[in-house]
Amino acid sequence: MSGYYRTNYLEDVALLDTRAQKAWFALFIVLLLAVPFAVGPLWLDLANQILLGSIGAVALMLLTGFAGQISLGHAGLLAAGAFTTGILFKELAAPFWVTLPASAAVGAALGLVFGLPSLRLRGLYLAVSTLALHFIVIHAGAEYETKRGYSTGILVDSPLTDARHWYFALLAASTLTILFSLNLLRSRTGRAWRAIHGREAVAEALGISVQRAKLSAFVISSALTAVAGCLFAYFRGFVSVEAFSLYLTIQYVAMIIVGGMGSILGAVLGTIFVVLFPHAIDALMAASGLGERLSSVVFAVNYAAFGLVMIFFLVLEPQGLVGIWRRVRDWFLLWPFKQR
Amino acid sequence: MSLLKVEKLEVTYHRVITAVQGVSLEVPRGALVALLGNNGAGKTTTLRAISGFIGLDDARVTEGSVVFKGMKIDNRPPHRIARHGIALVPERAKVFENLTVEENLQAAVPRPGGRFAREKVYEFFPALGALRRREAGYLSGGERQMLAIGSALCCAPELLLVDELSQGLAPLLVRELMRRLQAIRAETGVTMLLVEQNAQIALEAADYGYVMENGRVVLDGTPQKLLAHQDIREFYLGAAGGRRRSYRDVKQYRRSRRWYG
Repeated sequence: MSGYYRTNYLEDVALLDTRAQKAWFALFIVLLLAVPFAVGPLWLDLANQILLGSIGAVALMLLTGFAGQISLGHAGLLAAGAFTTGILFKELAAPFWVTLPASAAVGAALGLVFGLPSLRLRGLYLAVSTLALHFIVIHAGAEYETKRGYSTGILVDSPLTDARHWYFALLAASTLTILFSLNLLRSRTGRAWRAIHGREAVAEALGISVQRAKLSAFVISSALTAVAGCLFAYFRGFVSVEAFSLYLTIQYVAMIIVGGMGSILGAVLGTIFVVLFPHAIDALMAASGLGERLSSVVFAVNYAAFGLVMIFFLVLEPQGLVGIWRRVRDWFLLWPFKQR
Repeated sequence: MSLLKVEKLEVTYHRVITAVQGVSLEVPRGALVALLGNNGAGKTTTLRAISGFIGLDDARVTEGSVVFKGMKIDNRPPHRIARHGIALVPERAKVFENLTVEENLQAAVPRPGGRFAREKVYEFFPALGALRRREAGYLSGGERQMLAIGSALCCAPELLLVDELSQGLAPLLVRELMRRLQAIRAETGVTMLLVEQNAQIALEAADYGYVMENGRVVLDGTPQKLLAHQDIREFYLGAAGGRRRSYRDVKQYRRSRRWYG
């Protein structure tokens, strides 16, 4: 008998199994830490956007990819976190260590309220009910901006000003979110989410409270999303409803679909793809010489290409980028054999 | 005292359709009781009323009661009933296909105060041991049935409800699974209520049997008594000479006499 076997509990719960995995991961960490010193300002800003986006994408993945609950209120939740931060900063001069948990608490409360329809509704109907969250939060934010005279947005003083500092802060936040999510998914709560996603009736038969599992998914995902909104407020230095359009929700949904449903790695890969995609299209247009001629419709081209990519993944690669990654990895692991 | 006592149970779907009427049955602690009947007899509805699942089907217990360990449990949600110590192995969709075998077992919530070691499941069903890390969606029908029973056992139940053990499985495998259930009962002392169409297999294993037709219990007794009964032999054990006959079509006068005295 040959192969790799886990022989004790510690090995069983380890996130990285083999020495090779650990070595590759160490190299990956070194590369991640080297990024701010190796790239220019544009790429550093993109890296920061990816890290920030991955927090929201992982949060949505927990809710939709693992617990199977559809939400179109993601931009609303990001806005809720950002506005909580902006309002507390402006009204009470609250520091970061107050605005961050306050944003999480507001997100959790909204998640609880807007998770309630999930106890009765499913699929498209649930998605429509979560849209209400988006419009209510955006409306409330716009009202606040107008009433307080911040019609161009609320300015928030960031504790970090250097893009490199932001990179390390966001890298830490993103890593913590991923570690939290990976461990949560291996806990009773995470298993209950995946169970209700699989079969609600069987979950009930095995003593899992489907209601509690759904609500906890909404609460935890919403709290994490609001935390991402809080970080967004500090990162951009201002909060405005303009930044939280329905298109942002669609981008986050695209992140988890393109990345691959039911995978934390998929959420991260999807974020990388969605953040870099418009720049790739721009570069492609410039390289092909079409940039000049299509400059007036560059946004339309971007949207159209984005739509086509979504359709491509939905139809031809439902497992997303993570499915492609797994196939490539398995090909190398199993070579010269084709399958296990 | 019986572990489970169902008294004059009436279940109504969508507030209109009565599926089960006046059903009474008892399951003594430690016993294996079989609930037999053809399609549409009301067996599964009775089982779902006991386990609380009729609530998910927009049905309710409108008359009578389900009493478990002396406590009335009818119309409670299924997960609460599971926590009281009743675990159901459902008829069709019975495992989480997106979870591995091990995760399926881990997902079960043990009743408060109850304990059941997951390793025991692999002892009862060694075939699952080699499949621990395989997603349940890739299991065969028999393996899924084993996993479903194992998951239910991980709830540390006092009463295990098994809905149609034989459905879609080869007769030899059904006999093997029935033997495993008996072994589980012998080792753990768990009480079992089996809903089954295959009367022969069920009565070979059971201590007591109930026969349902048209939403009512029409016969009950020990397996010996039921196996010797002319109607059971005729309609359930194929002693009708190859012709498919049904209680419903032929025995109306006899049922009427039994029900209405």
